[in-house]
Amino acid sequence: MAVAPTGRTRRSPVRPLMLLFLLVVMTVPVYLLVVNTFKSQEDILNSPFSFPLADLTVKHLMDAIRSPQYNVIKGYGFTLFLVVVVDILCILMAGPAAYAIARSLKKRTQLVMLYFLAGTFIPGAALIIPVIYVLRSVGLANTVAGLIAHDVAATLPVSIFLFVGFIRTIPGSIDQAAMIDGAGRLRTFWTIIFPLMRPAVVTVLILNSIGIWNDFVSPQILLSPGSGRYTVTTAIYAGISQYSTDLTKVFPNLLLAIAPVVIFFIYMQRHIISGLTVGAVKG
Amino acid sequence: MVELAEVTRSQARSSRSRLGRSHSRRWARFRAGAVTTGLLAPSVVLYTVMTIVPVGVAVYLSLTDWNGFSEAAFVGWDNYTHLFDDPNTQSAWYVTTIVAVCGTVLMIGGGLAYALALKDSSRTNSFFRALAYYPHVISALILGYLWSAILGTNGAINNTAAKFGIDPIGFLFDEKLALITLIGVIVWAGFGFNVVLFVAALQTVPAELIEAAAIDGASRWQTNRRVVVPMIAPVVTVATVLNLIGLIRAYDLVVSLTGGGPAGATQTYAYVILARSFEGTKVGYATAQAVFLMVVSAVLALVVTALRNRQDTDVAS
Repeated sequence: MAVAPTGRTRRSPVRPLMLLFLLVVMTVPVYLLVVNTFKSQEDILNSPFSFPLADLTVKHLMDAIRSPQYNVIKGYGFTLFLVVVVDILCILMAGPAAYAIARSLKKRTQLVMLYFLAGTFIPGAALIIPVIYVLRSVGLANTVAGLIAHDVAATLPVSIFLFVGFIRTIPGSIDQAAMIDGAGRLRTFWTIIFPLMRPAVVTVLILNSIGIWNDFVSPQILLSPGSGRYTVTTAIYAGISQYSTDLTKVFPNLLLAIAPVVIFFIYMQRHIISGLTVGAVKG
Repeated sequence: MVELAEVTRSQARSSRSRLGRSHSRRWARFRAGAVTTGLLAPSVVLYTVMTIVPVGVAVYLSLTDWNGFSEAAFVGWDNYTHLFDDPNTQSAWYVTTIVAVCGTVLMIGGGLAYALALKDSSRTNSFFRALAYYPHVISALILGYLWSAILGTNGAINNTAAKFGIDPIGFLFDEKLALITLIGVIVWAGFGFNVVLFVAALQTVPAELIEAAAIDGASRWQTNRRVVVPMIAPVVTVATVLNLIGLIRAYDLVVSLTGGGPAGATQTYAYVILARSFEGTKVGYATAQAVFLMVVSAVLALVVTALRNRQDTDVAS
């Protein structure tokens, strides 16, 4: 107690300044987005930073919600549908495959793992043109099924990798006990192992959901504009390239596009941060 | 006669049961193999058709002059030799390299600085960590549009500047400044990820080490520089390569922030590939570029894997 904690007596101003800078830089764009969503074009142009309490209007936001063209709210539905279907198919396929890989001692099964790992090296966007080629030859070009097939395949490598790592931490004696009780391997997996994999499943679901929700290149290129189906990102792309000068259309649509993700993030913050960090470190 | 029949029958029975036993063992092994195959098949088939076959198709197309419509003719390595003498591609390489290198340096530097400031667990710190991180969950395309609405000629910054009599700043319209803006927005959106990664690593540094350094009279800066940062060096290395891999693939943000402009000053490699393929011209050439990008990514990714393995063995030893 004789030694005064030096850190406390001489507090450097660096940290508070850093945090203030961070606060400003990270919140100003969101502030501008939210405030300008409720202002007229004139107000946005003349005083973008102002917060004219009396002149705020929900008119432009309602217009964006009701807009018949490139409607972001309608985009929610299709994007959510994609997320759910791809998530389910990914778990149904990656789970059993990871189980087979994690529990096999055979060389050839381990080679399958390496085969999947190679997929994490392939930049998806660079491969999209050949993917169209393949989809065309199996008759799925410009279909939702084709997009789903592509998205599921893209999620498999990292999902399988994370699952295998996790299953290997579960003792094999648990499987043997289940088998002695007469369960087949598929049944052992789904009823015994899968419920134990909850942390890994949550990580994979978060990784895949955010990835698919934010994906732009695949839906833009694999679904023709004529299909009438658009995701949040492709709706924003089509809408903004048309109305880029009308800021009363730009800001409300961007707010609608960002809001669900940010709300989801605030609600699930801890899981999302750890999940995405694990995914990036492992994948 | 009866005896003989009896003997042969019993012989037959025993041989049948011997045969049956080995048959059932082989059957069990076959069945186990079949179940393994069954568990793996759906993933392997889908992944092969949608990821590996396209790689093969890409390699094939890259050796042709396919333009998206007519018959493709085989041209050998022509597209690849073009990769290094086409001025368009050269400028895209320049832009991509600048973006990747500057972006990585700034994101690692900023990430490390903020991770050191936010490493202790407290409510304030976890709020600031989340604040730095949030752009990471938002689509890069949408972030690009938001920033272009803020930085454009009619954007919030320039309209405010005009009030004070300041000429519009060409954040997105000046060739040099546009590239800096692009890097700035990339860093804004991505450095929080490094913060979180480094905080996780810093929390594994034993507190006794830091105390020991303090007792030996090291200042905070000395402790960080000589003790703390070297302890997490492997994570920093892996993060560096991960950032590089992410940035050489930059596309979405370029589309929405600058559209590759002005005058191609912000066209990245991935942007050029997709723009060319969209136009439907020179698809063969664009896929050659894509294959090359894939090779570069793969090399970088192999570096990460090697580094990570070393890191794992370091931890184990």
